[in-house]
Amino acid sequence: MEAGDEQLMLAYREGDAGAFEELYRRHKGGLYRFVLRSVRDRPLAEELYQEIWMRVIEARARYEAQAKFSTWLYTIAHNRLVDHWRRRGLSLVALDQDREESAALDPPAGPGYEPQRIHEAKQGLGRFASALAELPPAQREAFLLHAEADMSPAEIARATDSNAEAAKSRLRYAMAKLKKALTDD
Amino acid sequence: MTEDTRDSTVSARYRELGAEEPPRALDDAILAASRRAVQSHPAPLVAPTGRRAWFVPLAAVAVLVLAVAVTLHMQVDQPGEEGVPAPAERAQVTAPEQSRPQARPKAAEAVRQERAPVHTARTDAPARSAAEPEARKAPRPPEPKSFAAPTAAPAARAVAPGASAPAMAPAAPAPAVAAAKSAADSSSADALAKRADTAVETPEKELERIALLRREGKHEDADKALAEFRKRYPDFRIPAPMLERVERR
Repeated sequence: MEAGDEQLMLAYREGDAGAFEELYRRHKGGLYRFVLRSVRDRPLAEELYQEIWMRVIEARARYEAQAKFSTWLYTIAHNRLVDHWRRRGLSLVALDQDREESAALDPPAGPGYEPQRIHEAKQGLGRFASALAELPPAQREAFLLHAEADMSPAEIARATDSNAEAAKSRLRYAMAKLKKALTDD
Repeated sequence: MTEDTRDSTVSARYRELGAEEPPRALDDAILAASRRAVQSHPAPLVAPTGRRAWFVPLAAVAVLVLAVAVTLHMQVDQPGEEGVPAPAERAQVTAPEQSRPQARPKAAEAVRQERAPVHTARTDAPARSAAEPEARKAPRPPEPKSFAAPTAAPAARAVAPGASAPAMAPAAPAPAVAAAKSAADSSSADALAKRADTAVETPEKELERIALLRREGKHEDADKALAEFRKRYPDFRIPAPMLERVERR
């Protein structure tokens, strides 16, 4: 039977480098896309992504299998992204605001964000990608956590240090906006 | 999960955006860092289990031995506790000491009483100077008294067996010596307290320290300390009011 994420992290804490490799293999794609689609700038996403894993490595000694590993991992990712947004002057309140209000602080996709440019060429998918990019950061984050880490609203709340109702509401708004983008096709 | 938070068409369309993966070089860098981390310091802060379980009792014993050794060392190094003079030396030492004032102020008395139990324990230790057996045979003065005058202790101890009570009694106070000792005691106690305080610094205390730096306008130091803090506690959520105090505005 395949070892669980939590077991692998505990094994890594004990010095088993192979356990980390397996853990990394399982989560690298989801985490990378989560970060990339949150900041929409490839060089920046790569920098943040590396920092998140470095924090996981540094914090291994303090890891306790009290929650799902993925929740712990995405909590670290969320904290790192919040740091990044704060550095840009975006407050937690602004993260929930609509795009028009936070546009200056959550700038358009950077030059390295190829998928959006590629997909913009394709009509329907491009509109969907744009709708995703247009979401307020907190709603986009809730949707990405749901889509990439398969998190429930309760888990999203835990990873983003909010309450379940707020997480559920963010996810519901995100879903509604993305669905609208699909029906507009 | 309710229908409005789970939609298969949205999920399917999202998957069509592509399954981007991190570049190979990034994978290699992260995996190399993960290997380096476990090679350099395996599981540093927690009680290990499994094949490293023997670390725990070994570390506990080592700490215990070290603590006992340091305590004994400190006791032996106390001024005035440097061995009991041999009987031949006693006569030489006794005469001048008898005429020296032996009194101690009240502060020294308090310190002495605080230390008395430790001192008693130490005197039971087997490793003593060659004069020890003789000293033990002879009737000892009460322990607190001999400890009461650390600077004059060799003399007091040497005199003890044959000395009369007046020899031990304070003839006149020695305020300068006592004050110096008292000051030394209190300053070393402060230093120890400070050290202990630093050793158990909590994330909250650390944040307070950073906030203080920020308040004092030492922004460079505060930035550095904050970065270090985030490295040390990556999953620690800084409360919003504290964050306002520690972040540069």
